[in-house]
Amino acid sequence: MAIAIQPYSADLIPAVRAFNKRLATGGVAPEFHFPESNIPDWLPKLDGRRIYQEYYLAVDGESVRGGFILKFQDFFLAGKLQPVVYYHLPVSEGIINKAYAGVGVHMLRSALKLRPMLFALGMGGFDRPLPQMLQALGWNLCAVPFYFKANHAAKFLREIAPLRQSESRQLLAGLAAFTGAGWAVMKLVDAVRTARPEPALLVEKIDAFSECDDDLWQQCREHYKLVAARDCQTLNILYPRDKTFLRIRISRRGKPIGWAVMLDSQMRDNKYFGNLRLGSIVDCLALPADASPVMHGATDFLKQRGVDLTISNQSHHAWGSALRSSGFLKARSNFIFAASKALAELLAPFQSTQNQLFMNRGDGDGPVNL
Amino acid sequence: MSSQLFERVRGIAADILELSPNQITLQSSSENVQTWDSVRHLNLILAFEQEFGLQLDPEEIDQMNNIEGITSILEQKLNHHG
Repeated sequence: MAIAIQPYSADLIPAVRAFNKRLATGGVAPEFHFPESNIPDWLPKLDGRRIYQEYYLAVDGESVRGGFILKFQDFFLAGKLQPVVYYHLPVSEGIINKAYAGVGVHMLRSALKLRPMLFALGMGGFDRPLPQMLQALGWNLCAVPFYFKANHAAKFLREIAPLRQSESRQLLAGLAAFTGAGWAVMKLVDAVRTARPEPALLVEKIDAFSECDDDLWQQCREHYKLVAARDCQTLNILYPRDKTFLRIRISRRGKPIGWAVMLDSQMRDNKYFGNLRLGSIVDCLALPADASPVMHGATDFLKQRGVDLTISNQSHHAWGSALRSSGFLKARSNFIFAASKALAELLAPFQSTQNQLFMNRGDGDGPVNL
Repeated sequence: MSSQLFERVRGIAADILELSPNQITLQSSSENVQTWDSVRHLNLILAFEQEFGLQLDPEEIDQMNNIEGITSILEQKLNHHG
C-alpha cells in the first residue's frame, strides 16, 4: 500500500504508539520516538500565534511508518518578516526495517512540497544520515560554532567527556587537575582573552520580556542576514516564567542595549558534561556592535551563580568575537544549520553569509539537553 | 518491461550501491541489499531523476524500494512524458 503523508490526527495515536514500540524493540532511544499526542506540548497552534508546531505522519494503511514536525515562525529575511519553517524530528521506520528505507526521502520531499522555505538545525554532526540527505538534495549546510569557558578548571578537566576519549588524555586531565596546572592554564587563557567590561553598563535580572524588547528587536533585526522573530510576545512564549530560564537585560546609561536567556543546570552523568554544573547562554539579542557587553554580562551572571562551565552556540561572527573576548574557547561543533534551496537563494552567496546569520540554541527545538 | 531501461537502471543502481551490475536483479531491494540505506535511497532517486530528466513525486518514492518497482515507475513516467 502507498504511504501517504498526512497531519497527525487523534485517531492515529494508537498507531503512533505501535510505531514507537517497534522503534524501541529495534533499539531506538526514546528521544527519537514520535510524540504520542497529536497536540504539541511545546508551541501548540493557538489562535493569533505566529509561532507554533504541526505534526505530520507517514501513514501506510492502518500503520504509521514515520513522522516529522514543522515549526512555523517568522524570520526577518531579505528586508521583511516572513515565515521560515524548521523541519525536525524526522523519524522513519527505515532505521529499523530497511523495507522502509524510502520513507525518510518521502517525508523530506513532502515537507519541501508543503513549505519550500525550510531549515534544519542541530542534527548531531555532518556525518549523520539527515545532513547527508540534505546535502544530497542541494541544501546549504554549515556548523554553528560552539564556545565554552571553564570557571572551575580542575573540575572541568576531570569531568569533560571529550578529554576522556583516550586513556592518555584522561591521565593528562587528571594530572593537571591534581597539580593545579589545569587551573593555571585556564586562568591564563581567561586573563589573556577577557576584555575589561564597560563601567557604564547595568545588568539586571528580569522575570519577563516587555515593550522595550520590541524596540530592541526593531532596531536589531536589519543587522542580521537571517534572524527569527525575537519580539516581546514571541520571547515570552519561548521562555515562559514557569520554566527555569534566567533572563537578564543589559542597559547603557539607562537605555536597554540587549538581553540574554540562560540556563543553570546540574548535569548527572551526562555523556558530554559529566557531573558539571552547566551554564548555557541559550539566546540573546543586541546590535552586533553591542554583542560584547551582553556576553560579558551573561558570562559574569552565570559565574556568580557558581556554574563550573559556560557554553554557547552562536553563528554570527560578532557574537563569536564577543564570546572570545569574554574568555571563551571555540571547540568542534555538531550543531549544524541547513538551509533548503529556496531559503539558501535568499542567503546567497551562502559561503559568505553563513557567519552573518543569527542562530543559537534558542532556535530550532530550543534548549534541549541543556 | 523494457530490457534497455532495466540495463540503465541496473548500471546506476550498481554504481550507487557499490555492487557489480550482475549483482543487481529485478528482485534487488532495500531489504536484501546491505548497502541500500536511506541515504543511498535518496542518491538513487536523485540519480534517476538526473539520468531521465524527470521529477519523482514523494508518493512514487516509497514504491521504489526494489529494482522492479523503480523500473516500473520510471517506465510509466517516461511513457507518460512521451
